[in-house]
Amino acid sequence: MTTDNSKLVEATRGLRGITFPRVSLYGFLVLSVVSWAYIIFGVDSGLGDLFTGRSWSNAGHFFSQLLGLEGGLTGGGRPAFFDLGRWGETGKLAYKTLMMSVLAIGLAGFGVLVTFLPAARNVSNGELGGSPSLALGVLYHVLRLFFAFTRAVPELIWAMVIVFFLSPGILPGAIALGLHNYGIVGKLSAEVVENMDPGPARALRSAGAGNIQMLAYGIIPQAMPHFLTYLLYRWEVVIRTTVVVGFVSAGGLGQEFRLNLSFFQYTDVFLIILWYLILVLAVDLLSAFLRRMVLVR
Amino acid sequence: MTWTNSPFRSLDARRLLSLVLIGAFVWSLSSVDWRGGIVHTGGGDALKDFPLALFPPELSPGFLKLGLIASWQTVVHAVAGITLAIIIGLPLGIIASGSLGKPGRVRMLVAAVMRFILAFMRSIHELIWAVLFVAAFGLSSLAAVLAIAIPYAGILGRIYSELLNDVSEGPLDGLRSAGASPAGVLIYGRMPMVLTDLLSYGFYRFECAIRAAAIMSFVGIRGLGFEIQLSLHDLKFAEVWTLLLFLFGLVLLVDYWSTSVRRSLNS
Repeated sequence: MTTDNSKLVEATRGLRGITFPRVSLYGFLVLSVVSWAYIIFGVDSGLGDLFTGRSWSNAGHFFSQLLGLEGGLTGGGRPAFFDLGRWGETGKLAYKTLMMSVLAIGLAGFGVLVTFLPAARNVSNGELGGSPSLALGVLYHVLRLFFAFTRAVPELIWAMVIVFFLSPGILPGAIALGLHNYGIVGKLSAEVVENMDPGPARALRSAGAGNIQMLAYGIIPQAMPHFLTYLLYRWEVVIRTTVVVGFVSAGGLGQEFRLNLSFFQYTDVFLIILWYLILVLAVDLLSAFLRRMVLVR
Repeated sequence: MTWTNSPFRSLDARRLLSLVLIGAFVWSLSSVDWRGGIVHTGGGDALKDFPLALFPPELSPGFLKLGLIASWQTVVHAVAGITLAIIIGLPLGIIASGSLGKPGRVRMLVAAVMRFILAFMRSIHELIWAVLFVAAFGLSSLAAVLAIAIPYAGILGRIYSELLNDVSEGPLDGLRSAGASPAGVLIYGRMPMVLTDLLSYGFYRFECAIRAAAIMSFVGIRGLGFEIQLSLHDLKFAEVWTLLLFLFGLVLLVDYWSTSVRRSLNS
């Protein structure tokens, strides 16, 4: 018996260096070598094109047209980004894009507010009040699955599906963005409740508080700042994605970007990129300011 | 009535913020064009058919094989994209952290410029990079990989520079007093202390790269997004559901892998 045991110790000693992260790392390295081989030797790798002078001069033409240095000019023969009128017109689309992002975050936030409580394990099993029931248990799993699914599907694919139902405009784009972010913020908010300090809720319970009072004084005050911070943080990501979703949902800067690109109006494309960067910067600054407000007591 | 009970106290910053956010949401609703009707002609039928098509999704062996191949193509682009992002992001992050070179104004300036470049790289969405690269270089897998790598390198570089800056100074001072150069401090001090964090954050971003690779279909790169687009155009909703479930499974798998790696790295 003892000899068997010592053999086991001997065997595990050889395995000691093999840890899960290490195996994962080597596995990932193998995967990346295979992937790069697949891409480089694949039919449409484009590696060969990288070494031809023609493709580089094409790229050079494209970028100088983007900057209005050669051709690709519309109307008055000067770059769109030197035209104040064009700035104004594109600015209106930028405003629409901004509204799309606010609408998306609003929809996601509303959805999360309605569903994040039953999606927290300690609420569904009655730890924080209420009473556990089979229905609550099922609801917990259904919601968690729904969060995971909406999160797994990227905004652009949601938008492709949703334009099948809804009239073009900012609404389908906002719903697509909202769905994906609903899954993300929903999961994070439910986890906030799960990791919450149960002290206040227990104290309230032992003082005879009802379910509504537990919610209002035990759970919401702790969860709310996190929830708002997540929403604001996601808003920064959403504003970057609005343009992409606009490609298919026909709202704001995205649609115009695509149109201008297919009509070879490259200086307009550049103007849109400039407005897009302005939006991204403005939302980043505003969100940082508002997030500081959440932290201030 | 004490001050703490005064109704004005309830208007603290957080409540004010909630009010502002609700107001912004209501305002944004007003910019939706409601007059044309929300659901377009024929959209009502599609809205009904689409959820029903989940029961059952397309499960013929031929289509499942197509789903597997598409998943593999998506994984390939995601892996290539994230590895390139790490290769670009790590050196840029080291420069942005300002831990290389002689302390002084030049180093601060270089670090600030690098932080700006990283911010620019991640400001532009991967698909916009892709559209620009395809317009410039033509459609190719490498254009898509580069399009994923640039914004991801911007994110990784920023996080890496923050991680490198946040290490405790004690061990570094030890190295410095032993005469180590800034490069020595970086290689023998900062890097070993943050290595697991670097790996763990890289794995986390890998999960996001899967989604990024899936939407590269929009510029014509094959993969799950590409097949979803094709099936949608053919109005084959059952096939769309199968592919969505493949994407879901793939993301879950990578999510599970990256969470387990991070958990065992951080424990």
